[in-house]
Amino acid sequence: MSEPAAVPAIETRHLSKVFVESNIRAVDDVSFQIAAGEWVALTGPSGSGKSTLLHLLAALDEPTSGEIFVNGRNLRSYGNLDHYRSHEVGLVFQLHNLLPNLSALQNVQVAMVPTRVSRREGTRRAHELLESVGLAARTRLRPPELSGGERQRVAIARALANSPSILLADEPTGALDAAAAESVMDLFDRLRRERHLTILLVTHDPTVAACADRVIHMREGRLLGEGEAVPAARVLIPPRERQAAREAGS
Amino acid sequence: MGIPVFFVQLIFENVYTRKMRTVLTGLTIAVTIMTVVAMGILTHSLRQTAISILQTGKADFSIAEKNVSDVLNSSIDEKDLATIQADPGVKSAVGVLVEPVYLDADRPFFLRIGMKPEDTEPFGVNLIAGRLFAADAPDELILGYRAARDLDKTIGDTIQFQDSVYTIVGIYSTGQVFGDAASMLPLVPLQAQLRKPGTITLAFVQVKDQSQIDAVRARIEAALPQLATIRTESDFGQVDRNLELLRAANTGVSALALVIGAANVLNMMSLSVFERTREFGVLRSVGWSRQRILVYVLSEAFMVTMAGAMVGVALGFLVVQFLQDVPTLRGVFTPSYSSDVFGRTLSITFGMAIIGALYPALRAALLRPLTAIRHE
Repeated sequence: MSEPAAVPAIETRHLSKVFVESNIRAVDDVSFQIAAGEWVALTGPSGSGKSTLLHLLAALDEPTSGEIFVNGRNLRSYGNLDHYRSHEVGLVFQLHNLLPNLSALQNVQVAMVPTRVSRREGTRRAHELLESVGLAARTRLRPPELSGGERQRVAIARALANSPSILLADEPTGALDAAAAESVMDLFDRLRRERHLTILLVTHDPTVAACADRVIHMREGRLLGEGEAVPAARVLIPPRERQAAREAGS
Repeated sequence: MGIPVFFVQLIFENVYTRKMRTVLTGLTIAVTIMTVVAMGILTHSLRQTAISILQTGKADFSIAEKNVSDVLNSSIDEKDLATIQADPGVKSAVGVLVEPVYLDADRPFFLRIGMKPEDTEPFGVNLIAGRLFAADAPDELILGYRAARDLDKTIGDTIQFQDSVYTIVGIYSTGQVFGDAASMLPLVPLQAQLRKPGTITLAFVQVKDQSQIDAVRARIEAALPQLATIRTESDFGQVDRNLELLRAANTGVSALALVIGAANVLNMMSLSVFERTREFGVLRSVGWSRQRILVYVLSEAFMVTMAGAMVGVALGFLVVQFLQDVPTLRGVFTPSYSSDVFGRTLSITFGMAIIGALYPALRAALLRPLTAIRHE
């Protein structure tokens, strides 16, 4: 007997998005699959449609045609996309989009409001998440009191608040310096391994894309092809290589 | 309680973060609610005072002249009283002449009630001490026990009303606060003194059969269309136009307060929602439903409005206390705190919050998450 084929974490079939007002075909007949636990970078120049594709996967926008399957379930079958957004996927933006008047802890707790988890459990879990992103000592600080990298870590903790199986990140290092970006990529790698997360990361930076298992290229709304990233200049060393280097050194 | 507590905490945080805007909006609401409360208590108190006059006698219903500006301006001919007394369903009909008199600065509206001595019993007067006045005695009166206590008077003492001096010959009680704080005199001498011969102000009717009250009222109103029978508070409007006008003014003030308050809430919440467009986009992107956003914004408005209303109610009480001490109003009314006034205040408060915040809340709830997140 042959083993049943594993259900992809994310699958799109002939997905298109046309902005009617401007008559721009931002996503054009895109079909691809991402396996569970895989880390995929979606790259391409500005305006290539990669962020639009991510927004479609995050159910922040509706496709014009085509279908999206998440863990085998068609997105159209969700009567309530709020539930999908709060439980199935976690979203990280380029600009962290934290609520400035709330503490780091509260920013994480905000994402738990739709889940009706108890306050005590919510607080415990938010503390645990902030600890896992290295911010255990900064839970009471508000975003303006945190550095750019720390804010992005809070945003990642918020995205993971309800233990989603998929993390969607839109240029998460776009506003960070090299050191902070490297630290965030390390965090992605660790969280992926610890939580068996599927990660789809949008970036136009090949050095960031190099951290992923697989890179999908986009141009003018279409997929060009995919493969291992070969960055022109390695500002960031992929986490797995850093790990290998550490092990070799020891 | 779980995350709803955190949800409420978030609402507090948002209200607290925008302190100045919250305080200014709350202050406007407080002033409007203060006006509603003060006007409401004042109107209700004046109405209760007037109604108390009609309830002084032990009666199934009272009768007054229709459409007078003030119930005390009612004028009923004693011949009409005879017609009422002749109705087969009427057990007794007592005619009284009611006249307020200036006693001193604290009692500018002290009541003199003129009636025949034989009518005191059906009227419900219980003589506690002394005797009744004589029917034709121009200088005798009996004093309600509350008035006697208040004025520190007893039988044999005299009391002066303007140019007339009376001797107190008895102390009575009626079981009704307003009646017990008044005085009673023989009807005919009082009519003569006031140059109102053959005239009474009010009639108090008792019927033979309680089940026939409405039928008796209908017969009297048909026979004497210039008169109105009053059994409940709602009948009172027929005989006191001033209080009805005051009530209408009170309704107008309430409506105006609602509009002003709602406009302020609308202004505050519209600005708040506009400033926080990106926040709503983020909340939608992490799974908050449209309904939750709606409740979130409405709750903020409720919080500010309720806080303003609480201050407003307290200020309203203070204003009423202040009005009581204004020399021209002293003794005119005794504050009466009705649940109606507070019910109305609560309704207006909720109305302000809902009318004012509904549009901004809907706007926030209906934002497309992506558009909202990109909002600069």
